[in-house]
Amino acid sequence: MRVCVYGSTLTAWVTAACLAKVGNEVVLHEGQDTYNKELTDIPVIRDELGLETEIFQQINEGRFERDNNAEVCEAAIHWVALEANDQARVEHLIDVIARTEKSTILVVNQCNFEVGATAKLKHRLAENGCDAMVVYIPDNLEQGKALQLFLRPKRIILGIDNDKALSRAKALLRPFSQQLEQLQIMGTKEAEFTKFATTGMLAIRLGYINELANLADKFDVDIDVIKDGMGADHRIGNHYLSPGCGFGGQNFQTYLSMLSDIFDNKGSQSILKTVIEENEIQKEILFRKCWEHYKGDLTGKRVAIWGASFKPGTASIENAPSVKVIEALLSQGVQVNVHDPEGLHNIRSKYEKNQHLKCYGNMYDAIINCDALILVTEWPQYMSPDYNKLLGTMKTPLIIDGRNAFDKQLMIEFGFTYIGIGR
Amino acid sequence: MSVDQSSAWRDLAGHAKKLKDKQLADLFDDEPTRFQRFNYQTNGFLLDLSKQRITGETLTLLTALAEEQQLRKSIEKLFNGGIVNQSEQRPALHTTLRQPLDKPVVVDGKNISEGVHESLLRMKLMVDKIHSSQWRGYNGRPIKDVVNIGVGGSNLGPLIACEALFDQEIQDSHGLRVHFVSSMDGSELSSLLESLDAASTLFIISSKSFTTADTLANANTAREWLVSSSHTPVTLINKHHFIAVTANTPKATAWGVPEKNQLLFWEWVGGRFSLWSVIGLPIALQIGMDGFQAMLEGAYDMDMHFRQTPFEKNLPVLLALVSVWNINFLNIHAHAVLPYDGRLASLPYYLEQLEMESNGKNVNHAGEHIKYNTCPIIWGGIGSNAQHAFYQLLHQGTEPVMCDFIAPINRYQNDRQELKEQHKLSLANCLAQSRLLALGDSTIDNNQEAPNHKRYVGNQPSSTLLFDVLSPKALGGLIALYEHKVFVQSVIWEINPFDQWGVELGKQIATSLLPGLSSEMELPVDSSTAGLLRHILREQVGVG
Repeated sequence: MRVCVYGSTLTAWVTAACLAKVGNEVVLHEGQDTYNKELTDIPVIRDELGLETEIFQQINEGRFERDNNAEVCEAAIHWVALEANDQARVEHLIDVIARTEKSTILVVNQCNFEVGATAKLKHRLAENGCDAMVVYIPDNLEQGKALQLFLRPKRIILGIDNDKALSRAKALLRPFSQQLEQLQIMGTKEAEFTKFATTGMLAIRLGYINELANLADKFDVDIDVIKDGMGADHRIGNHYLSPGCGFGGQNFQTYLSMLSDIFDNKGSQSILKTVIEENEIQKEILFRKCWEHYKGDLTGKRVAIWGASFKPGTASIENAPSVKVIEALLSQGVQVNVHDPEGLHNIRSKYEKNQHLKCYGNMYDAIINCDALILVTEWPQYMSPDYNKLLGTMKTPLIIDGRNAFDKQLMIEFGFTYIGIGR
Repeated sequence: MSVDQSSAWRDLAGHAKKLKDKQLADLFDDEPTRFQRFNYQTNGFLLDLSKQRITGETLTLLTALAEEQQLRKSIEKLFNGGIVNQSEQRPALHTTLRQPLDKPVVVDGKNISEGVHESLLRMKLMVDKIHSSQWRGYNGRPIKDVVNIGVGGSNLGPLIACEALFDQEIQDSHGLRVHFVSSMDGSELSSLLESLDAASTLFIISSKSFTTADTLANANTAREWLVSSSHTPVTLINKHHFIAVTANTPKATAWGVPEKNQLLFWEWVGGRFSLWSVIGLPIALQIGMDGFQAMLEGAYDMDMHFRQTPFEKNLPVLLALVSVWNINFLNIHAHAVLPYDGRLASLPYYLEQLEMESNGKNVNHAGEHIKYNTCPIIWGGIGSNAQHAFYQLLHQGTEPVMCDFIAPINRYQNDRQELKEQHKLSLANCLAQSRLLALGDSTIDNNQEAPNHKRYVGNQPSSTLLFDVLSPKALGGLIALYEHKVFVQSVIWEINPFDQWGVELGKQIATSLLPGLSSEMELPVDSSTAGLLRHILREQVGVG
């Protein structure tokens, strides 16, 4: 089937690549921002492991075409995956599609606009004389494992307002349904609401466990023990219950603020607002632990950061806690050494002119002569480092573990000063 | 020869006698185009003096008085760093504080403008650090609230600017809140502390001498609060929670503020003229450094107007000369300041200090007691609110009062229509009140038949000052206008506007009385003070 995908988001690229992989003829209208760029120069592709290879392969096999000469092209299916703040552009695209397409088409909306946005798009198409079916599929991709989640989803929500659309959408998604455990079908508005509600729920869980961890610090109890105790209760479960130094990433934060705004606009106070504010404060917690350890005087200190991307598997440093920690350390006159397996180029370009920040390709080189090592992102290679090497090269063996990745007791036995989150 | 013996003074006295029976209503009848003749404009300000009891001749005689007092020479002396504060033998160089960097001011062979700009740069660095949330409290959390502790000039200047410009939007301050406390009794501080989080609160101790009892009492309470809420050693608290703005480094250091947290200014900046210096730190924190610079620019523009414009068209000079006319020749000794804009609610307090502390003097440069009146009683309030309070006295009381009506022409440009209408309503009231005060009910048909208690005699003189919008630049110009007005008056009256010896002795007496409030002792005081002390001691809870 010929599918036209619109957008230059991670979702647009992943969707286009995966639809091509299963045999569709895909044309991607990515927009002006990236059109002239090589794949390797597009951050969302570069930052997502495996994506670049997949796109190359589909282009080579002739099923994936990047086209920006026309605004739209003729296709049986139009898949819209633009940024949440691009609603005006989507509406314009829909008008052009409506005028171009004369046969019955399927439009898939995967943009996270407001609740009711998909119904509005359908109305627009009808106004322009286009008999289109419109479905909404919430964008559930997670940076770091986007391909895997698109190719083998466990759960899909389909927002649909008529039955004919349902069979077309099911046919399109069939190749990705082998491991599907649950296909939930609901109205487009409900599906949009569900997307927001889920995002908010996850944020609240994370915010809450972080708050508990901070409290655990004050009571001198181990949050990991408490977390296991809570997780054993089937009403709560273990997922999204790991304390840390704040959540980041672009999409998650954008949807959260949108949801918080929806509450605001409807005149009700939302706990989300507090969660978002507290999360920004939590992102600096590793800095604060370092600050408190050195009694508020970090001038002239040297600190190593392990892990800069906002989570493992991605090179993106968008809204990452590492950035907040680095900014705070630099402002206090600290020399900052950074190591990250994938995200160093992003750190380099952000701090190009700062002489007090150095990037290291080798994680052990970054810690030489340091007064502290702060683990920010839990990349697998940091989980079991050569402790003797650390002890031998660090000036002060102070470990601030932002992901509770290390065994506290073991660290103490080795002779480190160990500071975790909530333990 | 004192000024009241001069020929210009005598001419004015004679002229006043001739005008004695002329009511403002008559002056408007005589000259229907008074507004064209008596309105003056510069830098976006319009000053209307047509509702003052003056004629063209009055102004000619007043400018002759200014010439005779060598005002032009005094203005240059002020700007060039001459000793204009004789009792303390120092210059008063607040105008240098707003001088652009490329305009040097050389005093004793040194370009002091360079130091001014260095201190502004230091202030900018602090503002940037606080705005970017990188100024940290004891536990590493960023500062969210800044409390200015100061009194007099270290309070009123920054306070009026922050209140007046509260709606200036700045992008980069991360919701920083600025508060002010001043009163010696701790009233403001005690209620404020309840709503603050010690970890994210920074105090600015603003005191030129760093010995001001009121300020240090508040600063000590603030520090005790920080130490007890944080369970943190005082050295750490001193380091991260206090900035000192002062001219006395040793005292600030001895109190505990580290030198890197000190912003310094100079002996030649008088307290009530100091908001242009680093004393303006709270202003820069609230409206941003660009806003603060715009305020300096507005003041500088007014400085240039004051320095370069002939007296006949010079707004500060005319404002001062007309007030001298009212005070010394029409015997008016009360002056109401009436802003028609709620954001200027504190302007009357600011001008009370600026005018009364500067010119509330009875000794001239020669050290002699003077026989003419100087600064009148100044008070005021938001005009529209005061209409429900003291305007009764203005309209039907027995005291002649001169008034300054002050208002921006535009407000709420990007706001809802209803608010724009409210501003119009306020302006209509401003114009109505000055009209009624000037002309009385002569303008109303048939009111002459009304009983006396419903009559309005009018003839209360007023000035009206309008400007486009209340921006940092306009506020800078407005304050500089009044500063220069005060200076011109002082030149006419031959008094020193830059000292304040009248506020000293009370402080000493208070210090000597303090022990008497803790235990009964024989103090060499009058029977009234002794009686009051005894009564307080008897009734005081927890003493004796």
